[in-house]
Amino acid sequence: MRFNILGYLIKEGFRNVFKNKKSTISSLTIMCATMLVFGIFFLIGENVNYIINTVEQAQGIEVFIETDATEAEIEELGTKIRAMDAVNKVEYVTKEQALNRLKDRLKDQAYVLEIYEENNILPTSYIVTLTDLSKTKEVQEEILTFDHVKRIESSDQTISTLLKIANGIRIGTGVFLLFLIVISVFIISNTIKLSVHSRRKEISIMKYVGATNSFIRWPFIIEGIIIGVVAALLSIIIIGLLYNLVAGQIMESSVVALINISLLSFSEMFNLIICVYMGLGIGVGVLGSAISMRKYLEV
Amino acid sequence: MIEFRNVNKTYSTGTEAVNNASFVINKGEFAFLVGSSGSGKSTIIKLILKEEEPTSGNIIINGKDTTFLKPARVPYLRRSMGVVFQDFRLLPDKTVYENVAFAMYIVKATPRHIRRQVPMVLSLVGLSGKAKMYPNELSGGEQQRVALARALVNNPSMLIADEPTGNLDPDTAWEIMSLLNEINLRGTTVVVATHAKDIVDKMNKRVIHLSKGKIVSDKKGGYDCEI
Ligand SMILES: Nc1ncnc2c1ncn2[C@@H]1O[C@H](COP(=O)(O)OP(=O)(O)OP(=O)(O)O)[C@@H](O)[C@H]1O
Ligand SMILES: [Mg+2]
Repeated sequence: MRFNILGYLIKEGFRNVFKNKKSTISSLTIMCATMLVFGIFFLIGENVNYIINTVEQAQGIEVFIETDATEAEIEELGTKIRAMDAVNKVEYVTKEQALNRLKDRLKDQAYVLEIYEENNILPTSYIVTLTDLSKTKEVQEEILTFDHVKRIESSDQTISTLLKIANGIRIGTGVFLLFLIVISVFIISNTIKLSVHSRRKEISIMKYVGATNSFIRWPFIIEGIIIGVVAALLSIIIIGLLYNLVAGQIMESSVVALINISLLSFSEMFNLIICVYMGLGIGVGVLGSAISMRKYLEV
Repeated sequence: MIEFRNVNKTYSTGTEAVNNASFVINKGEFAFLVGSSGSGKSTIIKLILKEEEPTSGNIIINGKDTTFLKPARVPYLRRSMGVVFQDFRLLPDKTVYENVAFAMYIVKATPRHIRRQVPMVLSLVGLSGKAKMYPNELSGGEQQRVALARALVNNPSMLIADEPTGNLDPDTAWEIMSLLNEINLRGTTVVVATHAKDIVDKMNKRVIHLSKGKIVSDKKGGYDCEI
């Protein structure tokens, strides 16, 4: 297609958009609304994933080793754990490191640990981080069967709760995405239908002077794309402002400071969300106009 | 070349608009299609354009039977001829210039070609000064000339005009007819449906005379050649 034709078709697309201001605005509003709700789901999901990752990195499974194990036996246990599938990293914690960690945790009350300074009976341990958190339970069970393992400690509860939340959000987002697509396609196709209807006389004239269906169709497809893209841009601005406001509030609240997690900043997610929104906007625009054009082209 | 072979057209209302019409219009010919109102002139033109389908019979354009033409090919059939419609069929929210340029857009002409060609045909039909006006700001005769300019702009090998002088005063009508004649002399096949008896008489061309859908005479001469 030559450039001038493209220019002409795009100009016509914009003309359609402005000719049907009312229906353009109503479909923009509804699309923005659905995109916003979808975006909220999406952003919460992204954050939960992020938090899971943080937690995963911060707290692995801690495998305490029996105090009577020899160095060779400890070494062998480490090798065995490293060889497991879902294991990412294995770190050895010596008696001294264990004591220091305890001191850090107790801070002001660290004086109660004085007796350990002379006679350190703290167990040594391996801190195991996983590549896939959903395997936590299996990994733990397997490690427990190994020799010289005293006991295992993990933030099991937290992680499984987070995983459940993440899964719920993933399903919610998926369902909502489907819902968004259906609604938006319906709305856009309705708008384009009105647009086509108001131009049906023109369409028939174009056909009488030899315009092909695709030539006639393009401006309407472009109209759909314009509405989709504008809705996407508006939504991203609104959701960006909203997110910064809400995330700021959450980060400042004392609860979050206490459990020591942070949220993603909007700019970290910007690229992803703009791609998702643009893809949605353009896809929905094309689909909606294609559906509405079908029966109008027989002259 | 346009050939009708035993073409019949009965509208869904039951009106028999064309009755067993057969004729051949050769390349480079100039033919009038005459007859009283309702005799079927516009219907014949609509059949040529595949705007209407014949009830029976065959229509052959440029050697191809259009009866079985695929819908996707119809636009290309229509582009092979320039058509002036009886009801003009101009795009109401486009200017005179855009209406004419539009016919070039659909054949994917280059911008340079469009910028050169459109003003040329507009001046040919005497509308240079009205390029920026919209159809509803023009008189009937001016709209008719826009329609003619649009039909001519792609230099079609066939020009079909339905009442191209219907809304014009005798002088302008005669000017338009001379223009059509000139175009014909350059090699374009021209078919004109008209009531304009005096012009048909003066031009002394082939005349296909219709009456109630039937071809009652087909020969060179005037409007009223002995029926
Ligand atoms: N779409 C249609 N549906 C039903 N009948 C039609 C239709 N178009 C035309 N007719 C009828 O077919 C007959 C021929 O019409 P047509 O338009 O071909 O006449 P015409 O010779 O062009 O007349 P005019 O000189 O007034 O333009 C008329 O009786 C008309 O009423
Ligand atoms: Mg007519």
